Amino acid sequence: MHKQQNNKPQNAENLKEIPKWARKYAQNRTLTIMVLVAMIMPFSMFVAGLVGFSLSLAVAGFRKGNMILGCVGIAVLVAVLTAISIFIIIVLKKFGGKNRGMLDQLIDKWTYGKEGTATLPVQKSSKKKICLEIVGAVIFFICIFGSWHLALKGYISYKYLQPVSVLYMVPYAVCGWYFFKSPRMGPIYLVYPILYTIHAILILAGVPLFFTTENFCIFSICLPMIGYGFLPFVIGHLYSRHALKKLKEISHIEGGTANEV
Amino acid sequence: MKFDKIIHEPARLRIMMILTGIEQADFNFLLTTLSLTRGNLSRHIEKLETAGYLKVIKSFNGRLPNTSYQIIKTGSNALTKYWENLDKLRKSGQAK
Repeated sequence: MHKQQNNKPQNAENLKEIPKWARKYAQNRTLTIMVLVAMIMPFSMFVAGLVGFSLSLAVAGFRKGNMILGCVGIAVLVAVLTAISIFIIIVLKKFGGKNRGMLDQLIDKWTYGKEGTATLPVQKSSKKKICLEIVGAVIFFICIFGSWHLALKGYISYKYLQPVSVLYMVPYAVCGWYFFKSPRMGPIYLVYPILYTIHAILILAGVPLFFTTENFCIFSICLPMIGYGFLPFVIGHLYSRHALKKLKEISHIEGGTANEV
Repeated sequence: MKFDKIIHEPARLRIMMILTGIEQADFNFLLTTLSLTRGNLSRHIEKLETAGYLKVIKSFNGRLPNTSYQIIKTGSNALTKYWENLDKLRKSGQAK
């Protein structure tokens, strides 16, 4: 009896932690994002490869005065761009507008279906916000390709390509996280810019974490960007397991009281 | 000091506490987290809904129907009041 009385306040304090663990769990269901990124990334690489190949074919053809090769390159480029446009239109028709977020839901059901769904409020998107997102992405890609171009021209040493990219990568990642807060990106996401900066510091300290050849120098940026980009989502997913375990521990009801309606 | 009998029941208190932390949760999530039976959970949710503490959101996941729950203002006010009362009771118990 005495023991039971002592347990009550402790139990009440534990119960007050339920909203915290529920929120942490919902915020870190990041496996969905990982699957989504894993789907988009190979596709983007495939598209970039096709565009790059056809473009280089056209440029090489015209440079050598081979009009047929140049025209074939242009034709392939037009075909690739048309195919991509059609694909994007189909995807937007199926998963855009009213169905926005449906793809996310489908993957979420596939990855976390057994656990059910717990969501956090989503920030309302406005036209202004979408425009800002697009402008931000365009500036970001201009910065990446700009610095790559400068490296190829010899203005930036291959060694400093990644440290230079920290100047736009980190503000972009932090501002993106802060202003466009996704319900599935908790503070764990900030591990990404931190690791990216540490990578740059290591390069500056003399650790050879970069590519030195012309063809591969872009990977000095891409590999850490992708690699460290995945890490917060892996950590997030593992943390969601811990949060769910905690939540179940706290909210578990003893057999007797569970059946009391 | 009166306690809200609807919330005072352990399972319903836990349902309300889970829904306070997030925007909405579906039936499956509450079922797996609380380890209740389907019928039991349905009855508890029905009581909370009748009391006007939560909102039921019915939607479709593809072809499958999905039911989610969201705590509403009256529910969160009642929950805050419940904890205030409980804390007062605990403090008065400690003082004695």
